[in-house]
Amino acid sequence: MDIILEKLKKCYGSHVALDIDQYTLTGGEIVGLVGNNGAGKTTLFRLMLDLLKADEGHVCIGDIEVSRSEEWKEFTGAYLDESFLIDYLTPEEYFHFIGKICGLDAATVDERLSAYERFMNGEILGQKKFIRNLSAGNKQKVGILAALLNRPQLLVLDEPFNFLDPSSQSALKHLLREYHQETGATILVSSHNLNHTVDISSHIILLEHGVIIRDLKNEEGNAEKELEAYFEIEQ
Amino acid sequence: MLYTDIRKLQKLDAKRSPMFDKNRFAKFLMYFAVAFWAAYLIFFGVMLSFAFEEDSPNMEPYHVLNQGLIIFLILDFLIRFLFPTPVQAIKPFLLLPVPKRKIMSILLIDSGLSLFNLFWLFFFVPFALITVTRFYGLTGVIGYALGIWLLMVFNSYWSMLIKVLIRQKFLNILWIVPVYGILALIEFLPETGWLSTFTINLGEAFIFWNPLSYLGELAAIFLMAYINYRVQLKLIHNELSRKEDTHVRHISSYSFFDRYGNVGEYMRLELKMLFRNKSPKSQFWMLMACVVMFAAFLTFNVYGENSLMNDFMCLYCYIVFGIMTLIQVMAIEGNYIDGLMVRKESIYNMLRAKYYLQCIFLLIPFLLCLVPVIKGSMPLLMSLSYLFFAMGPVFACLMQMAVYNDRTMPLNVSMIGKRQNNNKYQSIVSIAVMTIPLLINQVLTSIFERNTAYIIMILLGLAGFLTHRYWIYNIYVRFMKRRYQNMENFRNTR
Repeated sequence: MDIILEKLKKCYGSHVALDIDQYTLTGGEIVGLVGNNGAGKTTLFRLMLDLLKADEGHVCIGDIEVSRSEEWKEFTGAYLDESFLIDYLTPEEYFHFIGKICGLDAATVDERLSAYERFMNGEILGQKKFIRNLSAGNKQKVGILAALLNRPQLLVLDEPFNFLDPSSQSALKHLLREYHQETGATILVSSHNLNHTVDISSHIILLEHGVIIRDLKNEEGNAEKELEAYFEIEQ
Repeated sequence: MLYTDIRKLQKLDAKRSPMFDKNRFAKFLMYFAVAFWAAYLIFFGVMLSFAFEEDSPNMEPYHVLNQGLIIFLILDFLIRFLFPTPVQAIKPFLLLPVPKRKIMSILLIDSGLSLFNLFWLFFFVPFALITVTRFYGLTGVIGYALGIWLLMVFNSYWSMLIKVLIRQKFLNILWIVPVYGILALIEFLPETGWLSTFTINLGEAFIFWNPLSYLGELAAIFLMAYINYRVQLKLIHNELSRKEDTHVRHISSYSFFDRYGNVGEYMRLELKMLFRNKSPKSQFWMLMACVVMFAAFLTFNVYGENSLMNDFMCLYCYIVFGIMTLIQVMAIEGNYIDGLMVRKESIYNMLRAKYYLQCIFLLIPFLLCLVPVIKGSMPLLMSLSYLFFAMGPVFACLMQMAVYNDRTMPLNVSMIGKRQNNNKYQSIVSIAVMTIPLLINQVLTSIFERNTAYIIMILLGLAGFLTHRYWIYNIYVRFMKRRYQNMENFRNTR
């Protein structure tokens, strides 16, 4: 389903954090969101997930305006930061909790998790540790997996490669591609890592000071050069 | 130098807190309470000086008072449990290139010099001005006040030590048993009274400016401060490396909640929250101790029959859990509010779960109150009326805070913590739920017979319980209207 951003504006005092006049994200794509610090990536995600109030405009997921109805929550999964995690639970308990409130029984949750064994790398399940005692990378994995549990049609991940070791970053790329192929879901990923973003995205949006300044089709990685030029990365 | 810098930073921290505005009402209440208690203590100081003179013509009033000094120390010890541990402030300084030991010493000195240690002088100085001045002049009063102040400083370190230990493990409260047990023994063993004799002599030594008494006090203060210093330094390391729960031996599943769907899942979450996090866990056991104490007051009829205090104690037994937990509703969830808000109606189910669990917890005071009921010192109807009234109107009132609470409460502050989590609505609602049920009871009792009044309160409580889905949904709708403001404030105060 498409995501429509209509005259979307968010200010913090006199600072304009996001200002998008009109933009439609076509459904069924993996969309990479890139930009320097303060470009408005997280603000955009928070507005999409109704975690922030827009000063002007609105976000629609399909034909649902996110601030007016909660229906979109049924087919959306998201992980932005640690504030999504209930850290006094073990990862298993957290997955079962999220599963239960999404209407999944424990067996289904376990079955779905088993597909992500490579990504978990034996460090998540059966550790007898509360989430608060996991490493930053493993917390990140728990958040990402919990977002995937209800097989969402829209998946929103803010800087998912952060804190992950190189093997886990590679496993995550593989996981996201596979999930996209299986479900045809719309996946939104923000990242500072251009290589990973270019690797997985079919479409890349470049934000600067809250404004979309480039909207790049990424067929066979052809967006990479343009992004490198923008970020002045020397070869 | 470092001392003044730390003081400055602490003041700036309070002043620049994003919630400073919301604390103003709580601050006003605090200043009002301080003025009230100061006036109360002055009044008591004056009244007791005359009362002792009349009642004990063979003893000087200050001797009578001094033989009971331990009572003031115990009261002071208990009151200090209401305040946060001062050394919680250490965390921001731990990464500075200043030795931890130095910062700890400064924070301990700061705590010793706290103005609260002077508070009891509102009682002792007026008392001494009336009873001591006529024999030993103003110098006697000053010497006496100095000695009392030093005693309170000692007591502050003693209570701090126990508070810090309790924050690590509630069972550490047992440390007070041998201490107060020995004191009780040396006082109450037949033909001893050594403790009261000692405190009489100590008080007189203060009045005479006996240097040994001050030196003894100073030595005791330094010893207690040093014990605090060692213990707290050790516990900071424990806290930072989080040794205590890195590997959980037993994971409770509370599987009986499985059959209650989403609400059951949130009830399970609530229980885990309560027993896996230091702040809620220690608060729970502390409250349990309070409820046991109040039930004991009722059992032994401390306030006499038909006293309003009995109603207050009974009401308090039932609402104390609610006051401490529901008044903070959503404040803990502020830690993971974003995760909850991306799930449909999760807040509604969570509020219901919280309510049901609080209702289940009412069984604890109910069972404890059965003791005075069986003993005949409290009518069963009274216990039932406050139980149902708590379940209905009181909880409905407390849960309104879900709409207005917007400060995140840290879950695992023990040695390292943040400021108190208060806003004006919390203060108003707390006072209201502690007084209005009693007022209603008094009004009903003045119109009807006592038992009829209790039955009406039961019916009011039942009405609140039976309509809980409606008012919880109403709270949920109002919360959703304020969600952006609340979420932003939760994020700002994490």
